[in-house]
Amino acid sequence: MKLRKRNISVTSEAVLLASIVWLLPLILIFINSFKPYNDMVQNFLALPKTWSLDKYVETWVDFGFPQLIANTLLYTVAAISGILLFAPMVAYKLARTKNTLSKICFVLIIMPMMVPFQSYMISLTKLVSDVNLTGTRLGYIIVSTGLMVPLAVYMIHGFVKNIPLELEESAKIDGAGPFRMYFSIILPMLKPVLTTVMVIDALSNWNDIIVNQLIVGGKTAAMNLQNALYMKFSAQTADWEHALPGIVMSMIPCLIFFIAMQKHIVGGVTAGAVKG
Amino acid sequence: MNTKKIKNFFIFAVFVFPALALVLFASDIPFVMNMYYSVFNWNGISQDMTFVGLDNFIKIFTNDHFFWKSVQFTLKYAIFFVVIINVAAISIALVLSKEKKSSSVARAFYYVPYIISMTAISLLWKFILGPGFSSLYQITGWEFFNWSWLGSGKLAFIVVVVMTTWQNIGYYIMNYITGIIAVPTELLEASKIDGANRWQTITKIMLPMIMPSISVCLLTSLTFSFKIFDVIMVFTKGGPANSTASVAYNIYTEAFLNNNYGLATAKSVVFVIFVLCITAIQTKITKGREVEA
Repeated sequence: MKLRKRNISVTSEAVLLASIVWLLPLILIFINSFKPYNDMVQNFLALPKTWSLDKYVETWVDFGFPQLIANTLLYTVAAISGILLFAPMVAYKLARTKNTLSKICFVLIIMPMMVPFQSYMISLTKLVSDVNLTGTRLGYIIVSTGLMVPLAVYMIHGFVKNIPLELEESAKIDGAGPFRMYFSIILPMLKPVLTTVMVIDALSNWNDIIVNQLIVGGKTAAMNLQNALYMKFSAQTADWEHALPGIVMSMIPCLIFFIAMQKHIVGGVTAGAVKG
Repeated sequence: MNTKKIKNFFIFAVFVFPALALVLFASDIPFVMNMYYSVFNWNGISQDMTFVGLDNFIKIFTNDHFFWKSVQFTLKYAIFFVVIINVAAISIALVLSKEKKSSSVARAFYYVPYIISMTAISLLWKFILGPGFSSLYQITGWEFFNWSWLGSGKLAFIVVVVMTTWQNIGYYIMNYITGIIAVPTELLEASKIDGANRWQTITKIMLPMIMPSISVCLLTSLTFSFKIFDVIMVFTKGGPANSTASVAYNIYTEAFLNNNYGLATAKSVVFVIFVLCITAIQTKITKGREVEA
């Protein structure tokens, strides 16, 4: 019995060890971000001699981080507000309306989940430039929000279908109009699924590079953090002394968000998987 | 009666149209445009746009070496990625779902790379494979660290597989753990009493019982690998010598670097049909294998 117990704790330590090895690339980036380039190449595995933040400050100032972070925050907040406002409305209305128009609208909204984004991204870029939104913040916000609507509607739609109709009927008898009914009865009940949607969309918006690259491209004023890192540091001869602090700073908000929302993230992202 | 109908439609419109407009603009209209442009010869910018019928499609199937090379890469990648990530994730999930103490920390650690952006991930791996490996080579003297990891097609392929597995595995592990926890313990106890060893318990009871998780993960990993694009665009740029160009990346370069817009949209249409067929077949196969407890 004693032997068995020890056995289990050995595997449990092994599991923990393996997961730390999994994080090793991130740890190495972190410790190397404090070193001058020579030290990175000569003592890749060693801890930095001094934990100086000089390079962080330089990167922050020289690469315009305040604006990049402001942009990325604006994009994430705008997209999430748009999703949380529009997606539950449409999902609710479509789940409760049974006619042909409603069915057509539902198919049109869900269809993008079936076809890969990569198959229409070039035409999307064309469409955005046709309406003169290329390189603008507005263009990026509209597109990135629009791309997140289908999954959000799909998830909320499934949730609404499980809400009993009686609630709405009794509210109707009490004289509530359609908007009052939605905002004060339905919306509060959707909180769990809306949290999931918010978590998925916040992460994917903060981490987006492809859509920003397609819509904004090299237009510095409207770049998000990821796109700027890509444009500035993915050249052949990378400036690692500034790239590594840049990478670390771009990850920090994500990691804080992960620690704070861990339960919702793991559950939520897995729930989002059911899309076909 | 009629005013009531109009009022109802008005309410419907207020609820539905804003979101519908967003989706139409971001996805549906581009998708239709795509099919329209696929029968034209066009560079994407000029006024000069000639109708060529199915010529673009004929060209893809008869005379497009790089496209078929990218198909080959994508299929090869799909096979490696799907097998490796699912086998590894199931194995890790089996261990993690048994351990109570260290498991939640370990799960979080495996999950962290999944929530980090592709840009950060690819720059990070570029750094490790470049300055990092050259430093390790100086320390250890092992040839392994001196190989040109992003300079040769074969090695770059391995790097892409390893990197994407590293980034995504946390998500698959979580999916499998959810499935494993849901397996009724009576079943496992009964098999133990009947004298099944650990291997038999896993293959005869565990795997059939977690078939729903397996089918979700297979489908996700399969579509992920067919659509692989951002890693390629940000990390290898299809190189060296087009050896890691995926289908989606080939479409992208055809449109924006070669300026063959019509041909690129035709490829997109082929790509959609292909992805839809594969996922339909795959769903059908795994759905048939699920068992009820």
